[in-house]
Amino acid sequence: CSSSYLEVLPKGSSLEASYYTNQSEAFAGLVAVYDIMRKNSGGFENMITMLNAGSDDTVAGGGGATDGVGLQSFSNYTISPTTVPASYWGDHYQGVFRANFLLSKLPNIPMDATLKARYTAESQALRALYYFNLVRLFKNIPLITTPLASTEIYNVVQAEPSAIYAQIEKDLNDAIPVLPISVPASDAGRLTKGAAQALLGKVYLYDNKLSEAAAQLAIVNGTPNGANPYGYKLLNNFSDLWVVANKFNSESILEVTHTYASNAGWGNWGSGTDEGNSVVQMIGPRTLTRPTGSTAPAYYSGGWSFNPVTQDLYDVLKNDPRFSATILDAKALKAAKQINYISGYQDTGYFINKFMPKQSDVSTGLGNIELNFRQNSYIIRLADSYLMEAEALGGTGARAQALLDAVRSRVGLPSIPVSLNAIANERRLELACEGHRWFDLVRTGKAATVLSSKGFKAGKNEALPIPFKELENTKIKQNPNY
Amino acid sequence: QTVEVRGKVIDANLSIGISGVSISIKNSTRGTTTSASGDYQISASASDVLVFSFIGYKPVEKAIGKASVINVALEEDVKGLNEVVVIGYGTQKKSVVTGAISSIKAKDLENIPSGRIETALQGRVSGVTIAANAGQPGSASTVRVRGLTTFDTYGGNNPLWVVDGVIIDNGGIGFINQSDIESIEVLKDAASLAIYGARAASGVILVSTKRGKSGKLSVNYTGFVGSSSPAKQLNLLNASDYGTVMNEKSVAAGGNVLYPNPSSLGAGTDWQGAIFNNNAQRANHEISISGGNDVSSFFLSAGTQNQDGIVLKDISGYRRDNLRLNSTHKLSKLISIGQTLAYSHQKTVGIGNTNSEFGGPLSSAINLDPITPLVVTDPTAAASSIYASNPVLRDKEGRPYGISSIVGQEMTNPIAYQQIRLGNFDWSDDFVGNAFIEVSPLSNLKFKSTVGAKLSYWGGDFFTPKYYLSATSGAAKNTFSRSSNTGLGWNIENTVSYNKSLNNHNIGVLLGQGLYIDNITSGTSITYSDLPVNTYDDASFNFSLPAAQRTGSAYTGVEHRVTSLFGRLTYDFKEKYLFTGIIRRDGSSRFGGNNKFGIFPSFSAGWVVSNEDFWKENNIVKSLKIRSGYGVTGNDAILNFGYLSTIVGGRNYTYGTGGVDIISGFSPSAPSNPDLKWEETAQTNIGIDATLLKNLTLTLEVYRKKTSGILQTITLPGYVGATSSPVGNVADMENRGLEIELGYRKRFGDFNFSANGNVSFLKNEVTYLGNGISFITSGAAGFQSMGSITRTQVGQPYNAFFGLQTAGIFQNTAEINAYKTAEGNVIQPNAKPGDFKWVDTDGNGVINDNDKTFLGNGLPKYTIGLNVAMDYKNFDFMFFAQASGGNKIFQGLRRLDILNANYQSSVLSRWTGEGTSNTYPRLTNNDTNGNFGKASNFYLEDGDFVRLKIIQLGYTLPNAIISKIGAQKLRVFVTAENLLTLTKYTGYDPEIGGNVFGIDRGYYPQARSIQFGLNLKF
Repeated sequence: CSSSYLEVLPKGSSLEASYYTNQSEAFAGLVAVYDIMRKNSGGFENMITMLNAGSDDTVAGGGGATDGVGLQSFSNYTISPTTVPASYWGDHYQGVFRANFLLSKLPNIPMDATLKARYTAESQALRALYYFNLVRLFKNIPLITTPLASTEIYNVVQAEPSAIYAQIEKDLNDAIPVLPISVPASDAGRLTKGAAQALLGKVYLYDNKLSEAAAQLAIVNGTPNGANPYGYKLLNNFSDLWVVANKFNSESILEVTHTYASNAGWGNWGSGTDEGNSVVQMIGPRTLTRPTGSTAPAYYSGGWSFNPVTQDLYDVLKNDPRFSATILDAKALKAAKQINYISGYQDTGYFINKFMPKQSDVSTGLGNIELNFRQNSYIIRLADSYLMEAEALGGTGARAQALLDAVRSRVGLPSIPVSLNAIANERRLELACEGHRWFDLVRTGKAATVLSSKGFKAGKNEALPIPFKELENTKIKQNPNY
Repeated sequence: QTVEVRGKVIDANLSIGISGVSISIKNSTRGTTTSASGDYQISASASDVLVFSFIGYKPVEKAIGKASVINVALEEDVKGLNEVVVIGYGTQKKSVVTGAISSIKAKDLENIPSGRIETALQGRVSGVTIAANAGQPGSASTVRVRGLTTFDTYGGNNPLWVVDGVIIDNGGIGFINQSDIESIEVLKDAASLAIYGARAASGVILVSTKRGKSGKLSVNYTGFVGSSSPAKQLNLLNASDYGTVMNEKSVAAGGNVLYPNPSSLGAGTDWQGAIFNNNAQRANHEISISGGNDVSSFFLSAGTQNQDGIVLKDISGYRRDNLRLNSTHKLSKLISIGQTLAYSHQKTVGIGNTNSEFGGPLSSAINLDPITPLVVTDPTAAASSIYASNPVLRDKEGRPYGISSIVGQEMTNPIAYQQIRLGNFDWSDDFVGNAFIEVSPLSNLKFKSTVGAKLSYWGGDFFTPKYYLSATSGAAKNTFSRSSNTGLGWNIENTVSYNKSLNNHNIGVLLGQGLYIDNITSGTSITYSDLPVNTYDDASFNFSLPAAQRTGSAYTGVEHRVTSLFGRLTYDFKEKYLFTGIIRRDGSSRFGGNNKFGIFPSFSAGWVVSNEDFWKENNIVKSLKIRSGYGVTGNDAILNFGYLSTIVGGRNYTYGTGGVDIISGFSPSAPSNPDLKWEETAQTNIGIDATLLKNLTLTLEVYRKKTSGILQTITLPGYVGATSSPVGNVADMENRGLEIELGYRKRFGDFNFSANGNVSFLKNEVTYLGNGISFITSGAAGFQSMGSITRTQVGQPYNAFFGLQTAGIFQNTAEINAYKTAEGNVIQPNAKPGDFKWVDTDGNGVINDNDKTFLGNGLPKYTIGLNVAMDYKNFDFMFFAQASGGNKIFQGLRRLDILNANYQSSVLSRWTGEGTSNTYPRLTNNDTNGNFGKASNFYLEDGDFVRLKIIQLGYTLPNAIISKIGAQKLRVFVTAENLLTLTKYTGYDPEIGGNVFGIDRGYYPQARSIQFGLNLKF
């Protein structure tokens, strides 16, 4: 019985020691870093529905008070280390781990030097994006930039948020000169120079480096409603932003891709092999039917009624031209006997029309229809970038006015005097339910006031609690007051 | 010179003939058995010696000499000490066994209508807990020997099954035919288990199949047919009660009255009645032929069983056909060879989603509102858009099956659901066998080489039509898929054994070497989509479809290799002082370079006190043996390559405006752990075997087993960024137990009575979970939206139920305000009268997850089995009862996140005002107190039960009648199964297996059945 008889080698998966030896393996490693971008809108625990639940735009909703305990407890601010979904922490760190790992291997991979530089830049930019989400969600987080040795695992400590921001800004500044100005249609979704600059501008804004923020965003934005180096342009018709076919439109700067082609099922939902959009499924009404003779659009009928829109958002948007593209007034449709649906938990009668699927949007692939919506989602679009620059400019001056006007005029609204308040208000209306509102409120210090009725407590709820398991056997300390 | 000898064998006490006594010619393989009247006839030579033996009697030897008639009177052997048990690579006289081994013989299993061997074993021996995973015909059971040996991440708690020396690693034990079994031995303590070393920690079950005996050809037929029905139905609300309850819930949350006139709703739809089959057919036929001569003997059997399910009969059923040939041949005086070969074909039709709260058909039947009709008979309703514009399923008259607009999510009309699985089935073909050669150059020296293998083919055909069951369950295209798999596992073992008796010193030595490879497996699966037909019957892979509509996948398994050396020394002096020592060294491919090999020793000793000279023969304690042993065994049931860091695919992303091109991403999953090694279980056992009061046999075992370095996935901190958790030797766990087996047999004239009972007590405790770690939740059971409902914590049993503790119900506002902390803060300020008062376990004045506490365990603390048999003249009667208890069951039949799901009628005793209930809270659609949403002891019920599992009444026809057809025996019998279950549990069935015992999510209940059968022997 020699011990070589006992050496069985894996088939179909490689050992770490013998991988990352050529260009295609480097590319596969890069795709694994991109994989985590899914987190924005893929899987039950995605960024958009979670951040909506915590904001004043929507409540948690769903099937009942215990449906999605993370969403529910974030919505009513009873969130605790045991109810916060650990994946918001863990998934982003998976992205960081994969980026760190690839960045440690890339220098030794024999491959085309230009491509190697690009893969490096993309990994850095993605790592920046993931750390940006982590630091905004959890504030006090470990800074890990190289693969951890097994002896280091339990000795990791948290870094100051300023150190995290410094690393994010460094990564983006390193990546921007290398990233391509544009990518061919077949590569759409990969990082471009403009996307990284917009992201960097946003990071500076959160890091309170306003002039740097304005400078970066100015490059991306160019002339409001006019030229910029990347050809970005607001869509003429606001509602076209939410049409399934309009992927990678001219307004899109950083976009997350989804497809039905992965044929996702319950077994891989929210994992690396699930490429579906879950937001669309989650926000739809339950068992929506149309009585005979209804003239309502043929909506998809099987949603889960998460993120019902609050009366508050309804009231502020009611007379805005963006209302009907943003909110589906199912209450009115039901009263008019155009549709019927089962009321879910915290039903307000209003649903997010931006993500509301039509029957024609339903997947024709093989996987579960509810898990295979193909709508992409925006992380940054030009209107957002305009408003961020205006804010970074202090909400004053001709350029800030022009940026605000550009956003308003696209939907046929007249100019109003620019101010930080006007910009904040415009952000809420323009970007409603897209996952920005909660971060905006926290960044501008308004969260404690605006969200107090939901239970938000100043000095505590500006960051999520660190998932309980992270504290087990480690040196990680819980965020204050949790 | 050949002579014909005949005679009669009688019971010495009763002077009546004994049938089935084995008569063999000493030092040959020839022999015969007695007829029903005890008569026999045999050809032999005058110099031969006849050996008369029968279980429970002392054997008798008679030299033939000049006699032509030899009558023998056998005396009962109350001690049963000459019984032989299989101990792994050999047998041993029970009287000198020093380990804890429970044994069942063919006789105990005869005529028991079990579908599978696990069910046959259930309740028969002490120390073995067996619970069905589902009542679905053909489904496996969970088997635990002496409780939980390890954490159950990779099935390491399953015992090792060894059939005629072939280790059955893959695909389960379902292939074996019960009538082929000669004996089953369960090795329980380390002293007996160590001979199977690295894979033995969770117990070894040795199955020996029948072999032919030389002599007259013996033909046996056993058959029965019968019918099954559900033993119990739940009391669910009818439509008018449902309407009342829903109104109350809605109004309590500030909503509208939903059903203004609930009583007009009437009884409504009985979903349960719709899915149950009260006349499920069952048939079983088995025939065997055995016989042989000096040179060769054989055993040949064939059988078939066919069983319909009691739930959704069109998609629930099981069929097995099997064939076996065992033979032995003597090539010369020194060399003999032999083989066993069994073939079995199984076909399983399953309802799918058993014991699932997410759309299992039982779960749907329980949760669907009784208002929605089973079939929509109203033409206006049938014309509405939901039915008209979707591919809904229809009955034979073309009417659509009702779709609930009240209860959504995964709940669907179970009869419609049945339609989408019609025709689907799984199948398997198993070939299991071995061949051996034995060379015996000296009478006490034996070399034996064995090659054994299990070759399996399995797969399934699965057609899903284009369908629409509800808004969340449908398919826009039909799919037809077929999977087929091949698996092979084989082993070679070589042993040499030597036995010597010298001046009352009896020594036996066994040395062996083995090589094992299993999981040589591969499989393919293909799926055709959008076929031009829409039923299973029409579906075919012969349709030529474009390539895009034909998808496939395949895989190759990872081999599991083990190499072993082992040895055993047995010694006794005058059968008075006994000793056994075992050592085994195993190497496994599943372990890292630093720890490929492990060594497993055991020692045990016994003292037969009653063989001492000072022991005075008495009628209180006839015989007494005390024994004790200690040993170490292992478990390598973990993931392959757990010790390596592998690069894994499936971290995919999509690029491109086309939006359909998925790009594969690869990255490492987790750091490596080259120190990964065996999990070790050390066990100490003390046992007593005694015969009391002449007729009562007693075996008592006390044990303590401690598993250390339990292989468990290590939950790395999330910031490490690993996608999977590596495996490490992390935890320790301890089991202590007490087992009692009692047997009693007595004859009173023509009346025979025997009873065998066993009782086992078990305590399981996790003793270590890693440095500074007090609990883990990996491997915990989850339920709906509650998250984990079990937890593994130091000082507690593995995966014990964990949740909030209720302290009654607030009857009024004063009670809410009175529930406060020492500082005077009201603990549940938002509660309303009718809400649960939660125990503030940590005393901090706030009710949250930190107040969760341990609420009980799913694994029974004790199990009891009782088998009673009696016969009087030609009549025989037996019953078998089992009981278990001390465990809790999580009664999760209602989907709590579906507001409008139906209720069991227990809801009628809910809290509706002060003093109405202190156990069942108020109903509201706005359950902010989490009365129903929080895991708590509200969901836990006592799992104690007593079940009358089998009753059988038989009648053997008199010789005068059967001799006319030349038969030796003809017996007719009637059997009833599961006639009676005494339990307080409110679900279908308190016997619920699975990785975590006792979680009821809509469990497929066991059937109650009655069968009529026949035994015929020639």
